Amino acid sequence: MDLYASLQAVINGLLTGALYALVGMGLALIFGVMRIVNFAHGAFMMLGMYATYVLFTRTGISPYALFIVAGLVLFAVGYAIYYGLLRPIHGQSDFMQILLTLGIGLICTDGVLLVFGADYHQINIPLLGRNLHLGSHISLNAPWVVSFLIAVAVALALYLFVMRTMIGRAARAIAQNRYAAPLMGINVFRVQAISFAVGIAAAGIAGGLLLPVFYIYPQVGDQFTLKAFVMVVLGGMESIVGAALAGLLLGVVESLTSLYWGNEWALAVDFVIFLLVLSLRPSGIFGRQKA
Amino acid sequence: MKRSHLLIALVVFALSLLVPLVVETDYVLQILFRIYLFAALGLAWNLVGGYAGQLSLGHAAYFGAGAYGLALFSGKLGVSPWLAVLMGVVVALACALLIGGVSFRLRGPYFVLATIAFAEVLRLAAKNLPNVTGGDVGVQVPALFHGNVNRAFYWAAVLLTAVAFATTVAITRARFGYYLMAIREDEDTALSVGVGAAKTKLAALLVSAALTALAGALYGSLFLYVVPDQVLSIDVSNEIAIVAMLGGAGTVLGPLVGSVVLESASEIFKNVFKEAHLLIYGVLLVVVVLFLPEGIIGTLTAILRRRALFGGIKAGAKGVA
Repeated sequence: MDLYASLQAVINGLLTGALYALVGMGLALIFGVMRIVNFAHGAFMMLGMYATYVLFTRTGISPYALFIVAGLVLFAVGYAIYYGLLRPIHGQSDFMQILLTLGIGLICTDGVLLVFGADYHQINIPLLGRNLHLGSHISLNAPWVVSFLIAVAVALALYLFVMRTMIGRAARAIAQNRYAAPLMGINVFRVQAISFAVGIAAAGIAGGLLLPVFYIYPQVGDQFTLKAFVMVVLGGMESIVGAALAGLLLGVVESLTSLYWGNEWALAVDFVIFLLVLSLRPSGIFGRQKA
Repeated sequence: MKRSHLLIALVVFALSLLVPLVVETDYVLQILFRIYLFAALGLAWNLVGGYAGQLSLGHAAYFGAGAYGLALFSGKLGVSPWLAVLMGVVVALACALLIGGVSFRLRGPYFVLATIAFAEVLRLAAKNLPNVTGGDVGVQVPALFHGNVNRAFYWAAVLLTAVAFATTVAITRARFGYYLMAIREDEDTALSVGVGAAKTKLAALLVSAALTALAGALYGSLFLYVVPDQVLSIDVSNEIAIVAMLGGAGTVLGPLVGSVVLESASEIFKNVFKEAHLLIYGVLLVVVVLFLPEGIIGTLTAILRRRALFGGIKAGAKGVA
């Protein structure tokens, strides 16, 4: 084992992990707190990526500014989808939500496929190919670092939204007791709509930030849906911070797996960890064990 | 199911067997093969997803086990093809024991996620172990039939559907079937009256997995070749579930109707949307959830029942007036 190679892999993993964390935190808010089973989460991340991609190729503005637009677009999409599709099946079983969101995801992915084709694209920005050097052995890819810093800032904002704002408090109150919350004057549907939209906006922003460092193609979001669920479960369901930590962990685990076993095993290792946690410690790694 | 309905089903299956004597076009026979294959898959899924209410989105695991079992036992170990099919079924049963053992302890979305994760692990393993499975490139599958291949495969698919249908009818009439439905309606209550929920669900999954593996072997053998992203992909799992949900989960006829509708629709849309043809699956899923949550058969039955009920009341009221 090469110490520097491992260290480099850990650092790369943390850089990727911060973007995973953002996707995971979005789902933690939607699934962990609001109990809406969103199987289209990765597809929404992909939409954020394509929104940023389209705006970038049309206007030439840096994706590091456009991700905000992607977030706003996805917020609107999320809000509309909640009121148009999810609210009508409110109160039905989880399976109905799963099938509905699965359908929404397929429509998003194949709709984009229809409009943009199946080709892989990659954008070219001046920052690409620049590296920051830490000592003589460790180097950091500049676009990843910028994406990482912005992701951390957005994650912090998301945390403050959930913990400090009235809407966030209301969302947590609904999570604690969905029958008592409306009695305290909380408009459950409105809070759910906003939380759902914010969670999806987080995924969209992550998509925008991934654009400079990732290939873009219609199915790019598919693996992120399952990964996001992995993060939420590892993080202990209701915990936004837990999902963020799980995102970082997943990034590092994937990076180390790629280094020692090969890139192709990274996803399989994610799922094996997920299944082990589900069967051995269902309250998650970072969650509190329930008595 | 009434006895008269069963008789109709028997006649339909018998007539289906005669179809290749009239239809000679390979293209039409292949579409009919697909309709029957997915009807069988939908019926198999229905035992777990419909009657027991355990939404599995990982049935590609058993489908792939059947296809890969046939390919590998026959191709690598030299076992005769039909014996290899049975060994593939055994592999699928082993997968079902493992998957069911872990995931049936979970409920709701966690169960669904676990089934997806298992199927994905199998797909990735098949992709990443080229020495065993041929990897991404895939592996050859031996031919189960020779001569007029399309006709033979069509017959095999009809037969498999008939077996799956008969199994479903038998189960719904047995105590076992009532246990499954009790678990679907309320697992805790079922447990409290002495239904061994874990064992019952596992038994249903084993039957379902065996039928699914047989369908997988047929599918692989028709194309003579399998790749992981085809037979083990989440798209297969989704398609199987959609067939049953569209027709009506937890009904005997649902998967048959669902397969006819979905496979014909997807055949048409394949020509219109090319590679984006999964769009139609997405649209159908949204439509089913919002407007036909009981599926086509479930909704029709509800309408007919209501009409019989209220029609009677109306006639009665008229009589009084």
